[in-house]
Amino acid sequence: MDAVLKTIMFLSALNCFAISKDDRFVEELLIKPLPNGYVHASFHFSIFWNATISSSTEHHYNLFPKAVGQIIDNYDVRELHLSLTQGLWRHDKWGYPVRSAPPGAELWAWFERSASNSVDESWAKLVNSLSGLFCASLNFIDSTNTIQPSLSFRPSGVVNDLDATSIEYVRYATLPRENVCTENLTPWKKLLPCDSKAGLSTLFNAIRLYNAHYHALTIDLQPVCQSFPECTSTALHLTQSMSVVFRPTLSSGQRQWTLYSLFGNRLKSACPLASESFIHIDISNESVSDDYTLTPSPSVVTSTGGRKVASYNVADLTAGQNSLNIHFNWDEDMTYGKTKPPVLHAHRFMAGYGQEKGGITCMIYNNHPSQALDVVYMESLPWYVRLYLHTLKIQTEDGSDIKPDVIKYTPGKDRKRPYMLELMIGLPPASVITINIQFERAFLKWTEYPPDANIGFYLGSAVISAVLPSSANASVGDYKTVSLLSSLNAKSPTSGYFTRIYTEPLLLQLPLPDFSMPYNVICLVCTVFAIAFGSIHNLTTRRLDYEKEAKPGLLSKLKSFLGIGKKKSTDSKVESGEKKGEKAEDKKSDDGISKEDGISKEGASGDAGRTEEDRENKKND
Amino acid sequence: MAASIVWITLLGILSRVIILGSHFSNVLSDRVELSTPLTSWKRMTEGMFLIKNGISPYLGDNFHEPPLLLYFFTIMDNTTPALIPLVFLFLDLTTAFLLYRVAKYLLRYLLSEQIKEGPSYAKDVDVLLLKRSSLSSIPTLVLSIYLLNPFSILTCSAQSTIIITNVLVTATFLLTLKGQWWSATLSLALASYQSLYPVMLIVPCAMHVANLKMQENKESISYSSPTAVTIMLKIALSFLLWSVILITLSFLMLESWDFLQSTYGFILSVPDLKPNLGLFWYYFMEMFEHFRIFFLWVFQMNAFIYTIPLTIILWKCPSFVFFCQLVLIAIFKSYPSLGDITVYLALLPVWSHTFHYLRNGLVVSVMIVISTVLAPVLWHLWIYAGSANANFFFAFTLIYNTAQVYRHCRAVESL
Repeated sequence: MDAVLKTIMFLSALNCFAISKDDRFVEELLIKPLPNGYVHASFHFSIFWNATISSSTEHHYNLFPKAVGQIIDNYDVRELHLSLTQGLWRHDKWGYPVRSAPPGAELWAWFERSASNSVDESWAKLVNSLSGLFCASLNFIDSTNTIQPSLSFRPSGVVNDLDATSIEYVRYATLPRENVCTENLTPWKKLLPCDSKAGLSTLFNAIRLYNAHYHALTIDLQPVCQSFPECTSTALHLTQSMSVVFRPTLSSGQRQWTLYSLFGNRLKSACPLASESFIHIDISNESVSDDYTLTPSPSVVTSTGGRKVASYNVADLTAGQNSLNIHFNWDEDMTYGKTKPPVLHAHRFMAGYGQEKGGITCMIYNNHPSQALDVVYMESLPWYVRLYLHTLKIQTEDGSDIKPDVIKYTPGKDRKRPYMLELMIGLPPASVITINIQFERAFLKWTEYPPDANIGFYLGSAVISAVLPSSANASVGDYKTVSLLSSLNAKSPTSGYFTRIYTEPLLLQLPLPDFSMPYNVICLVCTVFAIAFGSIHNLTTRRLDYEKEAKPGLLSKLKSFLGIGKKKSTDSKVESGEKKGEKAEDKKSDDGISKEDGISKEGASGDAGRTEEDRENKKND
Repeated sequence: MAASIVWITLLGILSRVIILGSHFSNVLSDRVELSTPLTSWKRMTEGMFLIKNGISPYLGDNFHEPPLLLYFFTIMDNTTPALIPLVFLFLDLTTAFLLYRVAKYLLRYLLSEQIKEGPSYAKDVDVLLLKRSSLSSIPTLVLSIYLLNPFSILTCSAQSTIIITNVLVTATFLLTLKGQWWSATLSLALASYQSLYPVMLIVPCAMHVANLKMQENKESISYSSPTAVTIMLKIALSFLLWSVILITLSFLMLESWDFLQSTYGFILSVPDLKPNLGLFWYYFMEMFEHFRIFFLWVFQMNAFIYTIPLTIILWKCPSFVFFCQLVLIAIFKSYPSLGDITVYLALLPVWSHTFHYLRNGLVVSVMIVISTVLAPVLWHLWIYAGSANANFFFAFTLIYNTAQVYRHCRAVESL
């Protein structure tokens, strides 16, 4: 018995040891002073796990969050990218973020080929699970806002099989109206190995974070190579990142900041489970004139490829009872000025007036003086924005047309599928191109409008994907390496720096019906139908009978089937008909027939009046 | 006589050419009164663009025309795009002259009927009888009403494809009157292929041809006689044959059945609630969801059901049933436009001799004029100015339809 127990304990200890060697956790914070007094703070928590999750094997979760692991396991997810964002990243003022994200919620995933579940089923289950996991309204993602982009969202991790990159396996959806708040932050930070008990996550202070100009929570999961470059087996790489843009000048009037002034907390420890815990401060822009001071002085300053980064090793600096509060001071006061925009940025807006038609215009700026850029532009619009592809116009500043190299278009289907448009366009050097497409606003049923229909409908951001020639002004990350710093400085001259730009979301006003009218409309329309149906029913089913003598000409055509068999009784009716006909004449005088017509009028319109009397006669007979 | 026809035609052509040539044509083609999702030229352009780029236009919900029409215009667009407005002009003029011939044939037919049945008429019915002089004056009137009607001028200038249905329906009418049932069913099959509702015209068409046949054989008119039954069966079968050929051709061109859902499915299930002059859009916009299917069936059956009572009661004059059907289609189809009423408005004078007792003529005319003038104004106030809401425009579509219903009922009543 004892021996068995010992063996089990020994085995499990071995197992634990093996796993702890297999996974690695790195926490990093990149702070980058932006022009005009903004400060961008970007937290990165990466878990690298030498394992592949599949339903056939059991797993012991150590650092990797089990909740995420189960989702991958159950729904055959290969790659998962989720972002929840409040605010808009301003590329023209701030450059590029480490992980770009559109306002609202964005989710895209690549699925494994699976025998048991169809991709659509897995996607539906995935969005509902994530909705529960992150307390977000992701459950509003359904077929009406899901698209399968073929160019813009290629797998970002390794793929061992080319077939698996078919668009059959990708799903993309955005919810531009999604609000992000603490109820999303709490479940998000619970996925971290140290939660917010230790490490960089102790800086999370909801009041400060949600007061910021921009706030994005993201989670990215992709398979990566366990080792480069041979890549014999894959590992899982999970990155949770949070980006915040502060503006210290607003609160204090001072340009300088400290960790405390930004987050309201001092850093007391590094996460003990993390193999690396760093704070990096990007001082590339500051290095031109050395008029700033950083206290305490950084552990190490690296400078590669035009980027200068001061790094603090949190574990060392918080050893003992020390707490870390980095001060960034400038000697001179803030001078506001126009900032130099990055190589590629875009601006999108709504064109047209009225609530019948409209247009979407996107201006894409290529500021590179000599190099043309190939970009992929993607629009995903709900079905009630009826796009007319033939109105698509791409023009340069001087009005000459540009023909896109590739057009991928999926027309929308009412209440079923959104419109998707992907364009591959070559941007000439130092140019602004304008993409314009016209649409028509659909009319919805009154139950399809949200309760606050007058606000309008949000249309998700357009996505511009490009490979930038240099990383200047950028903080573009490469997910393939674990450490943020090495990913920022990773240089791959052949492929360049891949980045995505999300444009502004748009607010669309749709024409509204009167929501208080359903009963009135039903009654009024039914009345018109009733008038038509009633009159025709009356005219065609009435038993018409007449006296042969008084019958006027073509009116004989009104002779009904039933009237034909009545010839026998005509004689008896003539007498009564004449008498009653006089009565009928008086009755019918309001029919708008001129009196002069005398007998023939009597014959024409008296028919109707007589019918019932004839019926009575018949009864009496 | 001939001179006046020439002048009217020239005036009709001139007014159309002026608008077609100006940028005003684009503005008109966006008007809800003239273009519906089914007939809009903008959507046809989109369909042509998509098919040229290798995307099936029937995948999406922006295009609802049948494939043969799409291919016809795509070929036109590839070879001689400048001729497309001229095609519309030509079709509209053809409709006008077909209507002229229809009126001629119809009046001749009605007059011969009248002479035949003359002895059985009462003495004091002169006001209701057809005069011989109208034989020459009324066709010219029909022609000029069609050519100079602002509704038909605008519809033609907006390049609404309802023009094509109109020409086909008019051709059916003419061929039916001539008794050429083989080609009449072809043109009817084409019209139904484009806009589905004309399918109910097969009944008066068959009846009239049977009528002619029986008169030829000097039989008394009875639809149960062997002559009538055989000819009516032949017509039904030839109509079916033509329709099957058209649908099969479309299938062979596209190699998919998607177009059925996107054309006929679209007409019947009314998914697009874009306002028009009809009764469907606001009703289904405001409808409670669980009653939707029920009322959809009721409304669509309502459009077709009148065929039965009208044919029973007017069995002696199927040509008038044909006319009544045109009116009812214009009122009760799911996506009506002003282009639908032009044909029957032009034909109205043919039966003018029976309208001696037509009531409410002034009221109805004023209602139609007011609604067609004020509907665009209130549309502007709702959609662009934001100072009115949907009810305003809706009210005028109601008036427009009520007026049509009244006029129709009075016309039936007076006959």
